[in-house]
Amino acid sequence: MTGGNITRRGLVQAGAGAALVASVPASVRSQSGPLRVGVMTDLSGPFAGAGSQPLFWGAEVAIALFNERGGVNGRQVQIVSADSQSRAEVAINEAERLLGQEQLEVVTGIYSSAHAVPLSGRFEQAKKIMWITSAIATGVLKDKNLRYVFRPTVHSDQYAAASVNFIHEHAQARLGMAPDKVRLAVIYEDGPYGSGVAAGLDAEAKAKNMPIVMKEAYSATAPDLSTMVTKLRRERADIILHVGYNPDITLFLRQAKSGGLRFKALIGHGAGYSQIDKLSETFGADVNHFCNVDPAATQMLDWSKLGAGVGDLARTFMQRYQAKHQSNDPPTHASMGFGNTWTFLEYVLKPAVTKTGGMTADALREAALQVDVPVGGTIQGNGVKFAHPGTPMSGQNERSVAVVMQFDNGKSKVVWPTAIGVPPVLPLPAGHTYAAR
Amino acid sequence: MDPFLLEALLNGVLLGGVFALPALGLNLVFGVVDVVWLCYAELVMIGMYAVWFLYTQAGWPLALACAACLPIVAGLGLALHWLVVRPLLTAPPINQVLATGGVLFVLQGAATLVFKTDFRSLGVDMPPMELGDVFISGTKLIAFCAALVGAACLWAFLKFTYVGTAIRAIARDREVMPLMGVDPKRIYLIASGVGGTLAGLAACLLVVQLDVHPFVGLSFGPITFMICVMGGLGNMLGGFIAAFMMGLIISIGGFYGSTELSYVIAFGFFILMMFIRPQGLFAR
Repeated sequence: MTGGNITRRGLVQAGAGAALVASVPASVRSQSGPLRVGVMTDLSGPFAGAGSQPLFWGAEVAIALFNERGGVNGRQVQIVSADSQSRAEVAINEAERLLGQEQLEVVTGIYSSAHAVPLSGRFEQAKKIMWITSAIATGVLKDKNLRYVFRPTVHSDQYAAASVNFIHEHAQARLGMAPDKVRLAVIYEDGPYGSGVAAGLDAEAKAKNMPIVMKEAYSATAPDLSTMVTKLRRERADIILHVGYNPDITLFLRQAKSGGLRFKALIGHGAGYSQIDKLSETFGADVNHFCNVDPAATQMLDWSKLGAGVGDLARTFMQRYQAKHQSNDPPTHASMGFGNTWTFLEYVLKPAVTKTGGMTADALREAALQVDVPVGGTIQGNGVKFAHPGTPMSGQNERSVAVVMQFDNGKSKVVWPTAIGVPPVLPLPAGHTYAAR
Repeated sequence: MDPFLLEALLNGVLLGGVFALPALGLNLVFGVVDVVWLCYAELVMIGMYAVWFLYTQAGWPLALACAACLPIVAGLGLALHWLVVRPLLTAPPINQVLATGGVLFVLQGAATLVFKTDFRSLGVDMPPMELGDVFISGTKLIAFCAALVGAACLWAFLKFTYVGTAIRAIARDREVMPLMGVDPKRIYLIASGVGGTLAGLAACLLVVQLDVHPFVGLSFGPITFMICVMGGLGNMLGGFIAAFMMGLIISIGGFYGSTELSYVIAFGFFILMMFIRPQGLFAR
């Protein structure tokens, strides 16, 4: 091979070289060279604009910073990225590529629960680590006794508990209604994410004796939701509990406005509702005082109250993220991407590689089961300790925390748990576009 | 009458208006050229981006941005025919379908590269009409009226112009018309331009109702195809009526059942119709 020309001999040599590399067992290759970590997110398709892209960007910052700080004993972490294109079948194919061709021991990311459900079984079967930084459906892990799938973030039952408890706590004092008189309506996209949160909302409301006057699923790509708006008006719902991605959220809000839907409060549950910059850009003050449940984005927390060094880590992340992506209020997904990836790098990868000298899924799994980060030890304020195999939620972080936040002029503020939040604006104030009259 | 049921009925009619325009365009092209533009919804998507860009980025008045959208998408339709469809006119249908399907991915990819994956909104809002307990979306109502005007203009063009007559004649009998002096290649090109113009008009009406993103075609593309097939591929009047039928089925099904169920009913109805009248409800 000379110059820029590729000869047949050169091709054969290159092919032979690649085959030689591929034939070396992963356990041997993992003893030296970069530590290759898969990051699978949706960089195209509808999920990209609903939080998946910030999830990837957050992970990128985490890995770059980790490498700058020396990696693992000088070994750098190398991203092997995969775009699941907001389609489950693409996610499955990409997982096969990462596990087969790339021979990775671990894949992080996974934005959508619709992808996490089929992928978790595949990773378990392959005995490789799946480190979920976003997909929240409880059903991904519940009663599956998975051993190689870990989720440092919250699960959908926690979302339901947060929003129902929030309304229950404030019903009498702020809405002037007994909790059992507050009419709840649950509308949700019909994938595992929406269905998971909706099932949790149903159970929580029943447990608190709060009536759900309407519960309805829809496809996130539905071209029209106006009849659902008509029915919500007919049912005179006080509180709208919405679980959606995007663009279904903007479609609903737009049609709710033109359809004359009014309510006392609207609570979103992550995904599209966590993209406050985009919602504000589209709706302006109309989304003021809407609430959203998700893990707290790091900028909402008082960094001085976090564990030693964690506040500085959060500050560095924010500076880098905002400098690169010009975001007024980075979405929770950015914090999730950074924080949950950082947890993996610092508390799983580093000890596993240091202890074994290599990077095998089993070493990573052992390290993950040993993680014991106290509350306040991550940039989102939660701790990390995984439920062990043999428990109903094996692989779930038992110290994950969901909060209720409220939009206030383009910024989100934590309003629940009450102990750490500011007082909420409830009900929507008179004059608000959607305020009940 | 229950005002909420009345509102659901009106919603269905207005939704039918939204579906009707792209269904008309798609049917026109298929009826004349005998090739299904699988990428039709993506032409609409490009038109939506054009309006969004001209209005929010270039600062053009909305009416002017919409007026500019029509020739832009018409040009795209012409380019699609000239570059992709024309060389495949005698190829097996599967090749034509795959080619226009490939254009679908090219357009989605190009939009992602240029505009990223963000959801873009015009931020245009119109107050609803309130008739007692019934709310009618101002935006939808205007879009519906514009769709009717567009359909009427198309009808007049096909009925009263020489070219329109030639288009109808070609659609009726592709083999005989060339023997009578009609140049089919020219007619195909004109029909593609008109089909593109209708996609541009649909873009103008949809961009005030939906956010624009590279995959927005998924929201209305599949159902548009379904409507065309149900009305009889190539049958413009059939497609137009089927659009309203589908809008009403979705709306009333959603009212008495659920939003999810309404689409199950709509697709179930479609499948049933394919068994009973596979050539389409209104095929001659």
